[in-house]
Amino acid sequence: MLSMSRVRNNARMLAAAACTTLILASSPAWAQDAPAVDPNPGAVTITGSIDFLNQYMFRGLQQNNTGLVTWPAFDLGVTAYSGDGGLKSVGINFGTWNSLHSGNTGSDGPSGKMWYESDFYATLGFGFGKGTSFSTTYTAYNSPNSGFTTVKEFSFKFAVDDSGYLGKGAVKPYLVLAQEFGTDIGTGQADAGDNAGTYMEIGIAPGYYGISRASIAFPIKVGFSLNDYYELAGEDNKFGFFSVAGIVTVPLGGTSNFGSWNVHGGVEYQALGTTTEFYNGGDSSQVIGSFGIGFSY
Amino acid sequence: MRRSKSAGGWLCVCVLMVVISAATASPARAQGSTDPNPGALTLTGGFDFANAYFFRGIFQDDTGVVMWPYGDLGFALHSGEGALKSVSVNIGTWNSLHTGDAGSNGPTGKLWYESDFYAGASFGFGTGTTVGVTYTAYTSPNQMFGTVKELSFKVAVDDSGLLGAAAVKPYALLAQELDGQADGGADEGTYLELGIGPGYSLSKVSMTVPVKVGLSLSGYYEGISGDETFGFLSVAGVVTVPFISAPTRLGSWNIHGGVEFLMLGDRNEAVFGDSSHVIGSIGIGLSY
Repeated sequence: MLSMSRVRNNARMLAAAACTTLILASSPAWAQDAPAVDPNPGAVTITGSIDFLNQYMFRGLQQNNTGLVTWPAFDLGVTAYSGDGGLKSVGINFGTWNSLHSGNTGSDGPSGKMWYESDFYATLGFGFGKGTSFSTTYTAYNSPNSGFTTVKEFSFKFAVDDSGYLGKGAVKPYLVLAQEFGTDIGTGQADAGDNAGTYMEIGIAPGYYGISRASIAFPIKVGFSLNDYYELAGEDNKFGFFSVAGIVTVPLGGTSNFGSWNVHGGVEYQALGTTTEFYNGGDSSQVIGSFGIGFSY
Repeated sequence: MRRSKSAGGWLCVCVLMVVISAATASPARAQGSTDPNPGALTLTGGFDFANAYFFRGIFQDDTGVVMWPYGDLGFALHSGEGALKSVSVNIGTWNSLHTGDAGSNGPTGKLWYESDFYAGASFGFGTGTTVGVTYTAYTSPNQMFGTVKELSFKVAVDDSGLLGAAAVKPYALLAQELDGQADGGADEGTYLELGIGPGYSLSKVSMTVPVKVGLSLSGYYEGISGDETFGFLSVAGVVTVPFISAPTRLGSWNIHGGVEFLMLGDRNEAVFGDSSHVIGSIGIGLSY
């Protein structure tokens, strides 16, 4: 019951990871199959995807337990600056990420409506030397079918692309800090707790390319509560979840006038902490399978 | 009750604005400036502010500020010289955010009154004729109306080639509700819209004067005295000013604003409480 009403964010990270993986994975194909003319040499980049899953866990918090989950996502990226100085690039991204459910938190649930989650986000990112990047994101997590109350969050991400140093051994570490704001008791929080939460995620995303045309990535991440993010019965449990996944991406041809398209699929295993286990019906782990189509233009 | 229905007659105006902005950018592209996006995907979008929202003459809200963020992704699947000149597919979303009675100041306390998703295909033929079919789902994230699903067909003629500056660009739109109803009535309705969109371009400014009539062919404007055929008459003036004359690496941007005069049929007048209304809007548009 609580797990339904607290819905939201976790899937976005998985989707973002999948999208990132896809984009990264498809890069070699771009290089190999680049058309004579770049279909989009301008400063605006469009990415999108639609994924299908058996389960939606937001940062370890269960969001559904029956039916099919569908994630349409769309992102518009604007390259505001690129240069060779200490600051290599400045980018702005806007996007929407959505979760449609056929099961108990969607069309088969009390609202009878499929559209469980709709997130809007805006990101300002800065790229520095040595593959280092820093970004800040505002996200509003909404539930059109009133499955949960709107959550507003600011997050900060620090990431390092160590491919330049480690080549195929790169692990691409990152750190995310997220702060909920504008909350009330049981309202505006991922855990539907008493207080606004502070979340931290640490992850890596090693990947391998050149396996025929396919690529595979193994994102690993751990989610923690720094403060009141995983509340349960008045107690904040620090460990939220541990996730390890394998994602295979296969480009659909090369880059064409329609950009670069791919199909991707993966399996994710999540080991849950005390709060997230409670909301997962007492199960301490969860296996998630996904399959989807993505494009980058 | 009066907003127990759905979505967007102004969508046409918004789309028109975007089309105008794209059109104003075309000459610059043709003049030789570098096209930032020569591929087959086109992105259009915008963010508009208005003082009221009527959907096809059906009152939605006239309190607070109404905001309309929208975006459209177009795929040019075919272009050729035969009888079939072009085939394109579009998907997009149109949204209405309200600070007034239908939104954050209303019973739900939530801003997001309407979110529409649509997908369509259009076919371009000779002599500027275009035939399109669109599926639209009108939803209300703040639960102010029930979801309406609709299939519509549009025939439009760009008579610029024949009439030049005197072109009126007539169109007819036929829409059939599949599930849910804009009028909150007893039966799914069938809607017909007839319109023209004459326009005039000056050096850095373009202006259009869209005129349209909304009619119920069957059960679209149901009221206490049954289905009324006449829904509304709309006359608007929309001015669009590009930010700069040539497209940049960020595409073509514009600022646009307009005034629309709505004359309502008896059913819509009874719901709104007045026989007419004036709507003002201003916004920013993008074509890439």
